[in-house]
Amino acid sequence: MSDTTLAATRGNPALDLLRRYGIWVIALVVMLVLPKIFTSGAALTTMCLMGIMIVFSLAYNMLLGQTGMLSFGHAVYYGLGGFLAVHAMNVIAAGKLPIPLPVVPLVGGLMGLTFGFIFGAVSTRRAGTVFAMISLGLGELIASLSLILRGFFGGEEGITANRTKMLTLWGVRFGPQIEVYYLIASWCFVCMIAMYAFTRTPLGRMCNAVRDNPERAEFVGYSTQMVRFITFCISGFFAGIAGGLAAINFELMNAVNISGAQSGSVLLMAYIGGIGHFMGPVLGAVLVVLLQVFLSDITGAWMLYFGLIFIMMVMFAPGGMAGLIMLHLPLWQRGTLLQVVPAYGVMLVPALMGVAGAVALIETAHHQLVKTATEGPAMTLFGIAYTSNSMLPWIVALVLIGGGLWLGRLWGPRMAGAYSDAAHGKDLGKEVSK
Amino acid sequence: MTALGLHDVHKSFGITPIIRGVSLEIGKGERHAIIGPNGAGKSTLFHLISGRFPLSEGHISLNGEDITGLKPYQINRRGLSRSFQVTNIFPKMTVFENVRCGVLWHLGYRYSFWHNTRKLKDANDRAMAVLQQIGLGDRAMLPASFLTYAEQRALEIGITIAGGAEVVMLDEPTAGMSRSETAHFVSLIRKVTEGRTLIMVEHDMGVVFDLADRISVLVYGQIIACDTPTNIRNSKAVQEAYLGQAMEAEH
Repeated sequence: MSDTTLAATRGNPALDLLRRYGIWVIALVVMLVLPKIFTSGAALTTMCLMGIMIVFSLAYNMLLGQTGMLSFGHAVYYGLGGFLAVHAMNVIAAGKLPIPLPVVPLVGGLMGLTFGFIFGAVSTRRAGTVFAMISLGLGELIASLSLILRGFFGGEEGITANRTKMLTLWGVRFGPQIEVYYLIASWCFVCMIAMYAFTRTPLGRMCNAVRDNPERAEFVGYSTQMVRFITFCISGFFAGIAGGLAAINFELMNAVNISGAQSGSVLLMAYIGGIGHFMGPVLGAVLVVLLQVFLSDITGAWMLYFGLIFIMMVMFAPGGMAGLIMLHLPLWQRGTLLQVVPAYGVMLVPALMGVAGAVALIETAHHQLVKTATEGPAMTLFGIAYTSNSMLPWIVALVLIGGGLWLGRLWGPRMAGAYSDAAHGKDLGKEVSK
Repeated sequence: MTALGLHDVHKSFGITPIIRGVSLEIGKGERHAIIGPNGAGKSTLFHLISGRFPLSEGHISLNGEDITGLKPYQINRRGLSRSFQVTNIFPKMTVFENVRCGVLWHLGYRYSFWHNTRKLKDANDRAMAVLQQIGLGDRAMLPASFLTYAEQRALEIGITIAGGAEVVMLDEPTAGMSRSETAHFVSLIRKVTEGRTLIMVEHDMGVVFDLADRISVLVYGQIIACDTPTNIRNSKAVQEAYLGQAMEAEH
């Protein structure tokens, strides 16, 4: 993200205000209105999960995107925050302490901060691969501890709590999911602003400096280790808040929440959304939660799709979704965005062919390998009934994939050309008049 | 008054000695050039002074305080700042932010996460002033990697001097520049190091004799002469060891 300090000094002040705060107003309105549009219980649960994961993935990206620290064990701070929050809820309920539920995520945050401080002191001494390996080791250590220390982690079943047994303020008991949604949304909104504000502070700017050129950062007076360490603590704090929110939402914390799988999932969210832009992890969290919830309903092979999307992203769009959007921002500013629509539209054909072929291949294979033994080879896909052990569907799937790849190769350069014309301003009219 | 003192400094990599007993006193406000053939250890000496490499033996003092064994950032905080032979900037950040990174610590913002950089008037003004000084004012909002080579060299110096260090070390500031760029650059260096102590490694003898008050000649890890430009030019030992070839190469 570029600094706008100087840009802020020129131009219309009202417009500037709008540009600076408009996105937050939109975010707030969207968060307030969403539950009025999607009112079903499933939608509400999904949105709650999104709010939690937005906080978690933004916290994670403070390390990965902003400071260049690849952590494989950030679920430690999320999970520990969540477990302490669950215990706090039980203690508060048992002792009838005058503490309302909305404060509980802060307990999780402080737990994340504390362990961020302890583990960060060890792991942030070195950057790069060493840091990644230590984070992996610590992650595995805590994950296996969670199965051994049954008192605190509750073993396989985990620890449960009842969020409605807290001090009630203004008659809100947080029984219905909608009340929990607004609690999560409020925390999410505040955390988003706080984490964005962090990127604008001297330390936040030096995080980028340490990421881009650690050596030079040392020669302008900054200890890269200290920059990494403080950022690690703050990131742990926000991850702990996300854990606390999860504890409230599920009223349950178990070993899964603190496992390596959870650490991997937050990495995927941040990366798919785009680690190079502040809003990237927000997009990633929303998309990944959607995939997790809806894809897992539709197909048993949803993890495979998830992995394929990640691989495609890494290979073809390393900037993530936010990167793709930022790529088109100059076109929007030049007013040439519509110019690329026909070329992109044409590319939809090979893209849909490829996706349809891949889905057919995966689903048929999944059926053949997993379900045929119990249900027989008959299956339905895209409304077409066929048997997974006949040759034809396999051939069709492969032809679709092959055709999609071939057409993509053939037409890809034209799409790239349309993009660069739109971005670098070769005027289409002039081309014709020559 | 001594700004920088080196006392019998040694450095070996494994069993290979690179710096073999260098002692040097550089006064406050002096412009000091270190010259010598390739592989003499000039850059290594810079790395030792700025804390990038640890010393094998000896000690170094800055304004009378011992800085031996300190980390680069600790040495920088005490008022010594350096540039690099290979351009060493923050390529993804804007030109303006590059310079501001050099300012933040020295204005006392340290690891603050409670100030908004947008509102740090002193830091922003100072960064902008440095940019004007190095002639990159109109490039402020570009990513640093978009600059030309000569502009990146200027930015390198901008980052180095932005924090207001009293002792400035420049490692081959004009390397790879054309003649006209070099001439422009010499006046730039003269301007931005006004009132500071300057220590530079340089291969361009024109630049060295133009800028330096005193010159040290480093050959095989030892200083064989340290004197005014006129005396160095006339020194027989220096002629034999280095300058003869260097002056010939110039012509």
